[in-house]
Amino acid sequence: MSTYKVSYRYASSLLNSAIEKNALDDVSKDMGLISTTLEENNQLILALCNPIIKPNIKLTILEAIFKSRINSETMNFLRFLIEKKRENLLEDIAKIFLVLRDEKLGIVNVSVKTVVKFTNDQVDLFKINLEKLLQKKVRLNFSVEPNVIGGFIAQVGDTVYDASLKHQLELLKKQFLLGGPALN
Amino acid sequence: MAEVKPDEISAILRKQLSGYENEVDIYDVGTVLQVGDGIARVYGLSKVMASELVEFPNDVFGMVLNLDEDSVGCVLFGESTLVKEGDTVKRTKRVASMPVGEEMLGRVITPLGIPVDGKGAINSVKYSPIERKALGVIQRQPVKEPLQTGIAAIDAMIPIGRGQRELIIGDRQTGKTAVAVDTIINQKYTHTEVAKKLGINPVYCIYVAVGQKSSTIAQVVAKLQEHGAMDYTAVINASASEPAPLQFIAPYSGATLGEYFRDNGKHALVIYDDLSKQAAAYRELSLLLRRPPGREAYPGDVFYLHSRLLERASKLSDELGGGSLTALPIIETQQGDVSAYIPTNVISITDGQIYLETNLFNAGVRPAINVGISVSRVGGNAQIKAMKKVAGSLKLDLAQYRELEAFAKFGSDLDKATQRTLSKGARLVELLKQGQYAPLPVEKQVVSIYIGTSGILEEIPVSEVKRFEKEIHEYIEVNYNNIYESIRKEKQLNDEIINNINKAAKEMLNVFKSHA
Repeated sequence: MSTYKVSYRYASSLLNSAIEKNALDDVSKDMGLISTTLEENNQLILALCNPIIKPNIKLTILEAIFKSRINSETMNFLRFLIEKKRENLLEDIAKIFLVLRDEKLGIVNVSVKTVVKFTNDQVDLFKINLEKLLQKKVRLNFSVEPNVIGGFIAQVGDTVYDASLKHQLELLKKQFLLGGPALN
Repeated sequence: MAEVKPDEISAILRKQLSGYENEVDIYDVGTVLQVGDGIARVYGLSKVMASELVEFPNDVFGMVLNLDEDSVGCVLFGESTLVKEGDTVKRTKRVASMPVGEEMLGRVITPLGIPVDGKGAINSVKYSPIERKALGVIQRQPVKEPLQTGIAAIDAMIPIGRGQRELIIGDRQTGKTAVAVDTIINQKYTHTEVAKKLGINPVYCIYVAVGQKSSTIAQVVAKLQEHGAMDYTAVINASASEPAPLQFIAPYSGATLGEYFRDNGKHALVIYDDLSKQAAAYRELSLLLRRPPGREAYPGDVFYLHSRLLERASKLSDELGGGSLTALPIIETQQGDVSAYIPTNVISITDGQIYLETNLFNAGVRPAINVGISVSRVGGNAQIKAMKKVAGSLKLDLAQYRELEAFAKFGSDLDKATQRTLSKGARLVELLKQGQYAPLPVEKQVVSIYIGTSGILEEIPVSEVKRFEKEIHEYIEVNYNNIYESIRKEKQLNDEIINNINKAAKEMLNVFKSHA
């Protein structure tokens, strides 16, 4: 829980400095890359978290992996992290950074579950209507799930917009059971 | 044979389905991070309120107790084995609440208002939050009406008024629950036509069982049913097998139900049996939620836990309907230790306490009330005048008796006056003994105590006191019925009544002696 606070602080400082230097797009791309790289390579995380490995070696490792691929701003940030001995939080920081950036730009991630894949027209229509509803730009992530049965389930942050047949059937079941024998 | 027509079925189905909306449902969710020991940590649920009900899969409900930076701590009201990591948690957007209403009377329910007595659904429309702030000063008025327990020792010396909070405290097996159950049974007279004519308002009872054996509760319910007391009583049951969170909220549910009656200008009595188990349940979940432990490992707010509960007992002002909520919390002590944490807390919160003692219980003084250290700080205003008059000398006589009791062992070496005090005291103690489930109406109590304090009993051996009392009650009922009636109506003892009682007692004494 306390690490969340620390990561949040680093991520928001990075965001602000990136905006100041007009390098938000580059830095976001880099952080996205770092986030996916770390997610896919558990060994790298272990190495970064390992207290036995000396900071300069960690730096060499990071430089070897990322230097050619990322912006100098981001590389500076990685150096700064290692200097402050917070490299173990890199993964969290990258994730929180992306969330904060979306918040700043007014973009929300929406995960949509449907039974069949939407056609392009449907996707556009869906996006327009959702943006009108939320008053924000949306980034849609579609996934196909057969147990939705029909309709769709869209999740924006913690809020679910449930128009699925599955949910309606559940409600119906509940209504029929209302006043029945004790639940629980 | 009656046939079920198909269109009848479809009509019912249509009716059931009519309230059903085919729209997008919007709700907030979170994900279970960790679950165990009746506690779940949930990620998400970003707009959730403290003490809001949340819904887990498999119809398990939970209540939010901790709001942390990146997670939410919930207590589960159901089996924690039914909840897994990664499950979706839904907000219900209502703080923990329970259905209230007159429909609850005669029922056994869980603290969340779900019936567990197999008598079908409860169709109540009104929901009230379980946690409510107690009323302020302006809305209240001093306690002024009596709440008759039907136990002579209590009604005479430790009177309880409607809206009071009187603690019943004692070791295990001293008859704490018996006092409470007798009090419930005695409220039956308030629901009669006779009481209505005398201006006595009915008292509705709520018995909250926390952490007790289900068999004990079944017994209590059976006894209440047997005495016709279930008609005006609701039982809220959070037995020992129930998860700690349910035991923790049970007294609050009881208070909520009681407040429903109070706020509608009626009178309610809530019995919390018992608060030491509730405190233990609260300690359990506080420790699981990693709140820092304090004295006896109870969390820092265990005093507030009980004070905010008992503060909800009140007598409303006449503008608000004059309803009342009387609370009889029960505390179980260990080996008579009233200086433990929870007993001292609750003693300091309540308006008095009834001490029950093992020694007295074993000596055959039942109810085993130690009248020396039991007090009622506000109930005196609520006593009827007749009772006040006779109880004054009773208290004095018993105090003198206790002082001299140690000398009793020396027997005949004592002077006349001392012997008289001792013999009178012994008869009074005998007189105050009372069987279980045999509450005495107040007019009979007045007569009993009068014959005890006026010295009429002195000619009767101690072992015969109870029989004499019973017979004189019967004698008065048959021959001097106006005595009871005028005490009931005028609520005081005038010279005429006293003369009548003396006369009846003398006649009875003669009959009694001639048959002895």
